[in-house]
Amino acid sequence: MTKTARKERLIWLDIMITLVALELMSCFYYGLRSIVLGGVCIAVSLITEILCLRLMNRQFTADDLTCTSDALIIALMMPATMDYGIAGIACVFAVVAAKNVFGGRRNIIFSPAAAAYIFMLTSWEKKLLLYPQPHMRTGIFDEPEGLVNSVSYVYNTTGKMNYTDFELLMGNFSGPAGSVSILMLLIGAAMLILRRDISAGAFLGTITGTAFLSYIVPASPTAEIRYTFVTNMVLFAAVYIISDRRIAPKKEYYAFFYGLFIAVFSYVIVLTTGKENAIVIVSVLFTPVSLGIKNLEKKIELAHIEASETAAENFSAVDTTVIENSDEKTEDTSNE
Amino acid sequence: MFLVNELIALLAANLILTQALGTSTIFIAAGSRKNLVGTAFMITVFTFTGSVCAYFADKLLPEKYSDFKLLIYVISIGILYVILLSAFYFISRNNFENSRKYIHLSVFNCAVMGTLLTVSGKASENSSITEYMSAGLEAGIGFIVAALILTAAYRKLNSSKVPAAFRGFPAMIIYLGIISMAVYSLI
Amino acid sequence: MNKERSSVFSGIIGNNIVLSSLMVVSPVIICGDTLKNAAALVYAFSAITFLSVLISSFVPKKLSYTVKVIIYAIISSLVYIPVKWAAQEFFPGAVERIGIYFPLLAVNSLIIFRSEAELYKLPKNRMIIKLIFYILGFDAVMLTTGFIRELFAYGTINGRIVDVSTPVIGLAQPFGGFIFLGLFCGLYRWIRSIVISKKEEIRGDADVSGK
Repeated sequence: MTKTARKERLIWLDIMITLVALELMSCFYYGLRSIVLGGVCIAVSLITEILCLRLMNRQFTADDLTCTSDALIIALMMPATMDYGIAGIACVFAVVAAKNVFGGRRNIIFSPAAAAYIFMLTSWEKKLLLYPQPHMRTGIFDEPEGLVNSVSYVYNTTGKMNYTDFELLMGNFSGPAGSVSILMLLIGAAMLILRRDISAGAFLGTITGTAFLSYIVPASPTAEIRYTFVTNMVLFAAVYIISDRRIAPKKEYYAFFYGLFIAVFSYVIVLTTGKENAIVIVSVLFTPVSLGIKNLEKKIELAHIEASETAAENFSAVDTTVIENSDEKTEDTSNE
Repeated sequence: MFLVNELIALLAANLILTQALGTSTIFIAAGSRKNLVGTAFMITVFTFTGSVCAYFADKLLPEKYSDFKLLIYVISIGILYVILLSAFYFISRNNFENSRKYIHLSVFNCAVMGTLLTVSGKASENSSITEYMSAGLEAGIGFIVAALILTAAYRKLNSSKVPAAFRGFPAMIIYLGIISMAVYSLI
Repeated sequence: MNKERSSVFSGIIGNNIVLSSLMVVSPVIICGDTLKNAAALVYAFSAITFLSVLISSFVPKKLSYTVKVIIYAIISSLVYIPVKWAAQEFFPGAVERIGIYFPLLAVNSLIIFRSEAELYKLPKNRMIIKLIFYILGFDAVMLTTGFIRELFAYGTINGRIVDVSTPVIGLAQPFGGFIFLGLFCGLYRWIRSIVISKKEEIRGDADVSGK
């Protein structure tokens, strides 16, 4: 097994651990249904991935398990009571249209989870943006009742936040199944950054951009910086979508600006239109930017290699002339 | 903030991402930097000057002859086509051979004709020539933005890692589709 | 001889103008969301393209390329007028629904460019057959797209409700058209490559047995 392949698997494992922790928190608030939803997403993604690879004449390996982490991210961005059919269609879309059509994990262009989220947003907006209240259990096969708007929606439209800091930290408020558990997200982010599983530059860029703008241009007189991170899936997207190593630029300082621009754009959109979870949409819109930066990185890398090769050639040329000269000198002295 | 909003408005009004006008031309434009500059310039020239022609056609043509609007537009674009070719020929005969293919590619293009028809459809009786001109210019800039979006991913979409059946056009269409989906969800 | 014949008939499958050359894709992407729209577009495209190419084939070949292209565009925009009148008669409401894509069909690249590069070089009867197959190829793609998108986006077939448990509304939107056409195009190419490789296998076997 090569070093990169081993690294890829370890990254997947680390991400899965943090996602499972979020899934467990979601189970605590919404019951078994959220676990079943996650299971459906993983199963559909896995089956679709195997089928796609078979059609491409490729073998399914442990590296291809990354589809399961994408599936879990999708599940955690949905309300815990989401229709299983819709979740399944979204996962098929993520694996087929947003990933394998472009060559699968070897040639990732979009974040499959982000693309699938937008796909759901454009087709089933009402179902996607209405959430159950925490501790309101819905049976595995029951129709959800008493769904409400998310805290993000209320905050975007009124600028009010009626929850204590403790409730916000623990994720005890209505919103996407896994993206509201702020404490878990913070722990997960720290772990993933320390183990270099996600792009620290992109993460810091997103956080800096959001913090800076929410300080300079607050959403309302009562708005506070911490509310901006808690709402609109900002923290969740910063960890699992924007800082995804497959998408973000390689060099940390480029990744920082990539994250910064996404944060700035999404903040302005939330501020001017009140669009919920705009950061996920903006992250997909910024894919060409990321690809452009990556192209630039490659060009710089090639230029460096060329420069070092020319330097090495010059050096060896100088070296051979020095050797030749010294040989001539020794010959001269021996003749003498 | 104003800049961000303007950029979003430009994306939202983008003829390629929202109306699929000039899709096949953009694939040629995204192929190389030279093609991008050449095609984008010519499309912008045609949409800009064409919308001026569309303004006069709309103002002068009586309502009962509105079915002849397309014919008038085609004749206008045809005249512009000849003028542009002649201008390029007389300005620089050396560059004429290189630049004329972009003129041929852009004339009667869906992006150009679609812009004229869209501008005319949106215009009211009180619309001024500047509104037509700005819409024409916006369409040209929109084409450049869409071409840049595609150029960024061009190498990846044509890479050998993409399955042979999807390599090139199909992958490019799906890529544009996902970007268009993101734009749609913002509106 | 067989090769020549198959090249004439290839417009439907082997050399489909939409799936193979990506011509006239904008109406398919934008208006191909229902079978009704698809039928109206099929009528408009077929009538305008057939008549325009047929009339344009009489334009003297000696004229310069630029002049010929302008004349073809003028002819097709003249043909568009009676076709539109007929559409208002036979497909009430279709012209409004299709909007700018109706007149845009009159300046499609099959009439303006492909015909000059390919069709007018053929003898008249072969040109007509090839043109008909090109048109049929577009019609097949348009109707298939309209049928599938309507079924999965609205849960209807030609306006009649069908039991589709989870309609995907996004499929009716322009981005849905882009994604659907991309997938359709990929599927078409995949099937085509299988057919070609099988044909080559059979040919190879025949060569071996012939020897």
